[in-house]
Amino acid sequence: MNIFVLLRLAPDTVEELEIGGDGKSLDADILRFKPNDPDEHAVEEAVLLKEKHGGTVTVAALETPEVDDILYTALAKGADRAVKLTGDLGAAQSEAAARLLAGFLKAGGPALAPDTLILLRSQSIDDLEGEVGPYLAEALGLPYACVVTQVAPAGGAVKVTREFSGGLRGEFTLPLPAVLGIQSAEKPPRYVPIAKVRAAMKTARIETVDAGAVEQPARVGVERMYKPEAAGRAVMIEGAPEEVADKVVELLSKNSVI
Amino acid sequence: MDPVKFSLFGLPGVALLWALALAAFAVFGWRIARLIGLLRQGRYENRFDRLPRRLGHFLKHVLLQPRLFNERSIGLPHFLIFWGFVVYALCFNWALIRGLAPFLPIPYPDEVPAVALFLDVFAVLVLVSLGVAVARRLFYAPPHLHLSFDANLILSLIGMLMVSTLVGGAARIVAEGGRSAAWTPFSGLLAGLFSGASRETAHHIVAAAWWVHMLTVLGFLVYLPFSKHLHLLASPFNVFFNASATRAVGDLGTPGAKEDLTAGASRWQELTWKQILGGFSCAECGRCDRSCPAAGSGYPLLPQQIIQKVKDHVVRHGLNGANGNGVPKLVGEVITPAELWACATCMACMNCCAVWNEQVSVIVALRRHLVSQGEVDRTVQDMLGNLQRYGNSFGKSDRMRARWAQASGLKIKDARKEPVDYLWFVGDYASYDPRCEEITRKTARVFARAGLDYGLLYEAERNAGNDVRRVGEEGLFEVLKEKNQQAFQKARFQRIVTTDPHTLNTLRHEYAWEGARPEVRHYTEVLDELLQGSKLPLRQKLSGRVTYHDPCYLGRYNGVYDAPRRILGALGLELVEMPRSRDKSYCCGAGGGRIWMEDAEKVQERPAESRVREAVALGGVSTLVVACPKDLAMFRDAVKTTGNEGRLAVKDIAELIDEATAEPEAKPA
Repeated sequence: MNIFVLLRLAPDTVEELEIGGDGKSLDADILRFKPNDPDEHAVEEAVLLKEKHGGTVTVAALETPEVDDILYTALAKGADRAVKLTGDLGAAQSEAAARLLAGFLKAGGPALAPDTLILLRSQSIDDLEGEVGPYLAEALGLPYACVVTQVAPAGGAVKVTREFSGGLRGEFTLPLPAVLGIQSAEKPPRYVPIAKVRAAMKTARIETVDAGAVEQPARVGVERMYKPEAAGRAVMIEGAPEEVADKVVELLSKNSVI
Repeated sequence: MDPVKFSLFGLPGVALLWALALAAFAVFGWRIARLIGLLRQGRYENRFDRLPRRLGHFLKHVLLQPRLFNERSIGLPHFLIFWGFVVYALCFNWALIRGLAPFLPIPYPDEVPAVALFLDVFAVLVLVSLGVAVARRLFYAPPHLHLSFDANLILSLIGMLMVSTLVGGAARIVAEGGRSAAWTPFSGLLAGLFSGASRETAHHIVAAAWWVHMLTVLGFLVYLPFSKHLHLLASPFNVFFNASATRAVGDLGTPGAKEDLTAGASRWQELTWKQILGGFSCAECGRCDRSCPAAGSGYPLLPQQIIQKVKDHVVRHGLNGANGNGVPKLVGEVITPAELWACATCMACMNCCAVWNEQVSVIVALRRHLVSQGEVDRTVQDMLGNLQRYGNSFGKSDRMRARWAQASGLKIKDARKEPVDYLWFVGDYASYDPRCEEITRKTARVFARAGLDYGLLYEAERNAGNDVRRVGEEGLFEVLKEKNQQAFQKARFQRIVTTDPHTLNTLRHEYAWEGARPEVRHYTEVLDELLQGSKLPLRQKLSGRVTYHDPCYLGRYNGVYDAPRRILGALGLELVEMPRSRDKSYCCGAGGGRIWMEDAEKVQERPAESRVREAVALGGVSTLVVACPKDLAMFRDAVKTTGNEGRLAVKDIAELIDEATAEPEAKPA
């Protein structure tokens, strides 16, 4: 199989998050980045698929500070190639990022190899909508499934299990090539000892590919970013059940509900 | 009459002795050469440093065997059997040379009166000792003593040697007409047995006893390297090459190693030669199992089994030259991960091992392999991830490391900005654990009251890596060490004081320093000195009966036993010792990364619970004093799980010092 994993760093919420001076973004001075959990699961799933079905795993990411670390870690875990997309990326938002990644994936020709599987996070802590996956699938003209927890390639297709809220699951079959948004791998991400990461840093190389520039400005912009504001007050009603019922009725009528 | 001057089926005695001796020594030499060949297949590490020190260690622990005496029932008997062996081995060689070369103008050893006396007395001492040893095996065997047929056979063979000597001596008295009776008093007692025999017959009995003795020794020689009595040959070398003869106790370094040992051992050839020699040296006595807190709690670990399994595996597959197919995996099949992860690296096993084996280093070598394969518990993996990312096991921001001080308005110097006498390396638990924060603040106040010039590294401090190293993540240990060393270079300080004994251990012994190695001290050592020097005035004496738990990494690893006890005395407290104290202290179960692991199965009684019950059983003791933040966490938890809340309080020694030195008005009402 020809597996791609697209990675990205997300803000680390262990640090206090502050709004920057522009009121539209996080304060970059105290911001730190770490790999998202679903990103780590996507790498794990890719390596598991490789171990089961053979093939190559390529990890790729747009260039951001410290992104080399997660690429080397993925190499230490069993990825075969690591690619960093450079260029005038600015703060590439979801759609632009998807176009850049699509450009990289199509670099070998407009049609991807028929056994290609593209994995990425289903969502990210700063992208709960999980926009990049669908945009990417659209740009590549490929089918897409998100919140995937199991992946089983068979013939020219891939059977996936998706996990929805409320414990609901669904099985879907997609023709290959396909883009999958991974929620969790079949096994928890493996531990990779520091020695292996360091060995990867010494022996492996991260390829850099010029991804060009962001073509168009974002069609959706941030108006204002703010911390959750305390809204309303909760009132605890105490007393015997009858008293509580009376008070509830009183409150409801006072607020013109009944 | 010379015992070799006879003929058997026309074969002269001398020729027979030559044939038997050559055969026995050939088998013995062949076997030993093969065993040495196995050692040479292990990885190299240099244990040839500081030979005079090693010799001193050898003389003390092989010739005097103080560690044997830590179990009274067998200490003296073993000592006597050992010296009996030495005396008899020397005389055997003497007799053998004389027997093989009858033309030599020397007597047999038992023809020399003083030597005969020695042999006579030792024969009885050894027989009595053997009686004790057999009775111990039959009637009051301690738990985990390996009750093998092997051991009984060996005891019988030794008995045979002694009996043949006494019988030979008795017959000699009759044969020589009572001449030598005064020199062999115990043989003299047996001489009555042969009173009816003619001198001729008595001579034959002397010769027969001599042959029985020599044949037994030759048989023993052949059997020995195939039996558990290999320890008799290997353990003197094992003691001589012991790591702690020249280095800190429990040092995991492998100087001189030619390969990278950080990925650990997955095959026996990836153990070091010294680790393999440890297997040959084990006498199966079970001391380590009896002292092991993991074994005591019913975890699957038995330190002796680790050593024995390695030995059996090495001998079985190494001597067959088997490689690959059919050879079970050393880690996973021969030794299970559960055994390896149960170890708290508390050093109890190594502290009592009579042959100075290094169980912990073997366990860590095998753990390293598991880590290199990513086979670690989920919780440990999370901790290692946190340590990689934030430099602490709590997964909190490094910027929060000194929050315990900042949040309460304590002004503490930043050693990176201004010079200090003491650099206080606070450690993860004392910095981040909510249970410890208040105690850390109290320690800071006590330091201030004593006028100690001290400072912190603030967010530059990282977990020191002691437990990371013992989990087997050597690469991460190196990273943490490098980061701390960079921080040390930026700071100006004379000495280091630590809260956590684990931190103390690794900073003191496992860090490299530019220039002179600074003194690294535990806070109990510093506070003891301040109290003794009257730098820290007591405002009010405390009273009451307390007991004290020796942390493994403070006591067994670093030999600090008296400082905390002197502090308690100075404060006015009466110290009641638990039965397991000082170097026999019973681990709380937190070390070696255990504090990050969750028990998969229910255990009989966790080590910390056993320890709390031990303290409660003292009677009249209401406080268990600790000097390690991990102990505080473990024992406070164990007090709850054993239902001893209200009966036993767990207090850090710093809390008590704070109480005794606080300004009266500052004391809470």
